[in-house]
Amino acid sequence: MTTVLAPVAGRVVGLAAVPDPVFAEGLVGLGTAIDPAREPGTAVAPIDGTIVKLHPHAYVIVGDDGRGVLVHLGIDTVELRGEGFRVLAAEGERVRAGRPVVAWDPALVEAGGRSPMCPVVALDALPGTVGALVPSGAVRAGDGLFLWH
Amino acid sequence: MPERKVIVESQVGLHARPAATFVQTAAKAPIDVTVAKPGGSPVSAKSILSILALDVRHGEAIVIHAEGEGADRLLDELVAIVSAP
Repeated sequence: MTTVLAPVAGRVVGLAAVPDPVFAEGLVGLGTAIDPAREPGTAVAPIDGTIVKLHPHAYVIVGDDGRGVLVHLGIDTVELRGEGFRVLAAEGERVRAGRPVVAWDPALVEAGGRSPMCPVVALDALPGTVGALVPSGAVRAGDGLFLWH
Repeated sequence: MPERKVIVESQVGLHARPAATFVQTAAKAPIDVTVAKPGGSPVSAKSILSILALDVRHGEAIVIHAEGEGADRLLDELVAIVSAP
């Protein structure tokens, strides 16, 4: 079982609240979403593992058991081409859950006309294997977010 | 050995919606499907993790390979997904 931590501080709202159907309809996978606090913050690793993909706006960490978790910082933020994001780790690096990976400011993303909503997705998770630790409400970065059985 | 080489036309590459649609389509098929960059190691087309890690950008080529009944039809569907701008 994997405990997936909240990568950012904010309010847990669930994937259905994400203003992008590809996440809201669960096409990317199971998980949840956090509406982040509108202040400069640091997105952290949700699990122990290796950073297999690190974009300024999104990253994937894979645990030693092969399970991958995607953290997406805002919606359509690929269009920002890294502006407003500062990468604090390196692709291929091994990290502990809770380690800072990207610094960003959700308020700036929002001011630019995009949603700063953060989907957190258990990639390739089978139906029924993901259970919320915090179904809704406030979380701090590094708090337990969901269990992946 | 049904195989197609195709250029990824989506502006976001094989990420986000095209990636999710691609994997969902491949996962529904009862046969093995792989994707590789030309000359690279093939990964499962049924795994969103593998596809995101492959990190295919707009304008890059991929080789999709499927083996078994309905392979050609499936490859046509997958090619249509990645060829859409």
